[in-house]
Amino acid sequence: MSKASGHVQVLTANRLSDGAVVFLNFDGDWVATLAGVVIARSPDEVRGLSARGLFDAGRNLVVDPYLVEMREVAGALLPIRQRERVRLEGPSILDDVPGYTAPAASGVGVNAGGNREAACGDRGRRAEAA
Amino acid sequence: MYRYDEFDAAFVRQRVAQFRDQVARRLSGELTEDEFKPLRLKNGVYLQLHAYMLRIAIPYGTMSARQLRKLAHIARTYDRGFGHFTTRQNLQFNWPKLSDIPDILAELAEVEMHAIQTSGNNVRNVTADHFAGATAEEVADPRPYAEIVRQWSSLHPEFSFLPRKFKIGITASEHDRSAIKTHDIGLHLKRLAGGGLGFAVWVGGGQGRTPYLAQLIRDALPEADLLSYIEAILRVYNLHGRRDNIHKARIKILVNSIGLQAFRSEVEAEWARIKDGVLKLPAQEIARIEAYFAPPQFATRPPPAALRPADRSFDRWVTRNTHAHKQPGYAIVTISLKPIGGIPGDASAAQMDTIADIAQRFSCDEVRVSHEQNLVLPHVRLGDLWSVYQELKAIGLAEANAGLVTDIIACPGLDYCALANARSIPIAQRLSARLAPRQDLVGDLKIKISGCINACGHHHVGAIGILGVEKRGEEHYQLLLGGSGTEAAALASITGPGFGPDGIIDAVEKVVDTYLRLRAGPQEAFLAAYARLGAEPFKEAIYAST
Repeated sequence: MSKASGHVQVLTANRLSDGAVVFLNFDGDWVATLAGVVIARSPDEVRGLSARGLFDAGRNLVVDPYLVEMREVAGALLPIRQRERVRLEGPSILDDVPGYTAPAASGVGVNAGGNREAACGDRGRRAEAA
Repeated sequence: MYRYDEFDAAFVRQRVAQFRDQVARRLSGELTEDEFKPLRLKNGVYLQLHAYMLRIAIPYGTMSARQLRKLAHIARTYDRGFGHFTTRQNLQFNWPKLSDIPDILAELAEVEMHAIQTSGNNVRNVTADHFAGATAEEVADPRPYAEIVRQWSSLHPEFSFLPRKFKIGITASEHDRSAIKTHDIGLHLKRLAGGGLGFAVWVGGGQGRTPYLAQLIRDALPEADLLSYIEAILRVYNLHGRRDNIHKARIKILVNSIGLQAFRSEVEAEWARIKDGVLKLPAQEIARIEAYFAPPQFATRPPPAALRPADRSFDRWVTRNTHAHKQPGYAIVTISLKPIGGIPGDASAAQMDTIADIAQRFSCDEVRVSHEQNLVLPHVRLGDLWSVYQELKAIGLAEANAGLVTDIIACPGLDYCALANARSIPIAQRLSARLAPRQDLVGDLKIKISGCINACGHHHVGAIGILGVEKRGEEHYQLLLGGSGTEAAALASITGPGFGPDGIIDAVEKVVDTYLRLRAGPQEAFLAAYARLGAEPFKEAIYAST
C-alpha cells in the first residue's frame, strides 16, 4: 500500500543508452512521459511493479529502477517530492543555459514488448499524463 | 604547460580503448550495471538525474586554447551546446550519451586531456592557485609540483581503492586562492629557513556532512620529500580509514578521531621508513617538470601611455576583474562566468571558442579555471585589456563582479545532480539579480550554495553559505554565516531555522542590509564586520518577523 492515502506509485528508471528518465507504461514500454504509465495501488501491485523494474534492469533496458510516489490531481499524476518533479520535468533553468541546444525529437521508448506477460503492472490501470 | 610524453599518450589512448570495449560490453548486456559502475566511475562517468554526466579533468586548472576549443567542439557535437566549470577546476558535460563517451574520450586524448580519476575512491584532480605562474605573490609556480603529484597518483596501484575520494590542493602564495584547508591534503609551497623550497603540509580538511579544516602536520617539508611524505599519509589513511561507513570514510574523520598527534606519529614512522627510497625527488626531475611551466616570452616594450578610452564600465571591470602580474606591463584577467542572473560556471560552446581565441591572441595561449567557477587569462598585456574587454563584452562575459556578492559559487544542485535535495542554481540566479544593483556598495562578499550536504558548492566556507535540504518533500534552505576558504579559513555557522526558496532570498538580503547598516565603513569587509559584531545582529534581522 502507498505511504499516504490517495497516493499511488509508478516505476521509473534511467535508460541505459543515454541515461534519459523513463517510466514504465501500460504497454510494457519505457517512455519519457507519464502518459499511459502503469500505477500501483495495492501492496501486491507495488511488489509486482518493483519486480518488473529489476527484471528490465537485468535485461539491460534500464538502470536503477525505483518506485516513485505520486498523488492524483484531477486525473493527472503529480510526484510528491520536489526531486521527482524536477526529474520528471527536467532542469528548471534550461532557458537560462548559455548556448543550450535541445535535442532533436526522437522516439523515446525502450520497447520491452515480447515480455509483456511479465509486465506485472498490467494489473494497475492506465493513468493520464501529468 | 605540461605536454604528454610517449608514455602519457600511449597510456591515455590505451585507456580509451579499454573503456570503449567496456561500454560496448555494457550496452550489449555482457556487463551488468554492478560490474560496469566502478569502471565508468574510474573514467569520470556518472549517472545523474536526467542523463549521464562526464567530468573532465583540467589538471591544476590549466589548459591551452586548443584544449578549450576541443571542449567547445565536444559540447557542440556530443552534448547540448554548453559545459559547466566546477569548484574543483573540472568541466562537466551534463548530457552525453553513454554510447558517445568513448568517442568523446578519444577526442580529448587528441589534445592531451582525459577524465581518469575524476571520480571514484582515488586521488582526484590536483587543484592549484588559478593565478599560478603569473602572480608576484608566490614564491614559485606551484604547478610543477601539482604535475608531479598528478603523475605519481595516476593509477597508483596502492591508492586506487582508497576508503573514499582524496583531494589535494596546492598554493604558493600567502593569500590562499586554492582553499587548501578544505582539502584532504593541502600543500603550501614556501621558502624554507635554509633558502630552499618546501611545503607546509596540511591534512584532514574537508566539507561534506562533517566539515573540518585541515591541520598542520608538517611545517617545513623539503621539496625532495614531497612524494614520500604524501605517500606516507596515504598509506596510513589507506590502512586505518574506515570502510564500513561511507559517511565516516574520509581522512578528516580519521585524523579527528585519533587526533593529529597520533596520526602524525604514524605518518612520521612510515615516512622515516620510505623517505630515502625511490620517491626521493631528484632536483633534475623537478627541473625537468618545471621546464614545461617556464614563463612565456613576455613583451619587453612598454605599454602605451593611454591604456584605455574613457569608459566607466571598462574602469569597473579593470578594477574588479584584473589582478597584479609579476611581469611589469601585464595583468591577470578574471573572466566572470557569473553574468547577472546567469548560471554560475556555465559557458556555451561559442563562448568557449571565443575565449580560446582571446587566450591565443592576448594571453600566451593559456586559460585557467578557478575553483570559484570563473575562467582566468593569466598573461594579458595592459595595452590589450581594452580589446579583451570588448571581445568579452560581445559574448556577455564582461561582468565586473569578481569577488563581489554576485560572484556566487553554486553546485549543479537538484537541477542535475542525483544526490541533491534542493536546487542551487535558481537561488544563485535570484540572489544575483536581487543584489546586483548594490554589489559595488557591498564590496567583497562570497556567497556559496550547495544543494545537499555533500557541499560541492562550498557552503561551509562561504561568508554567506546556503545549504539546500529536503523538508517534507519540498526544498528548504539553511543559512550559514562567517565562513572563509582563504588563508584565514573558517567554517560558517548555521543561523537558525531554515527558509523556503523565497524566504532564503529575503534572508540573505537582510544579512546584506544589516552588514551595510552596521559596518564601520566601506573598508570593513563583511567577514571583519561579522567577527566584530557576532552573529546576533544578523539573526535579529533575519528572524525579526518570522
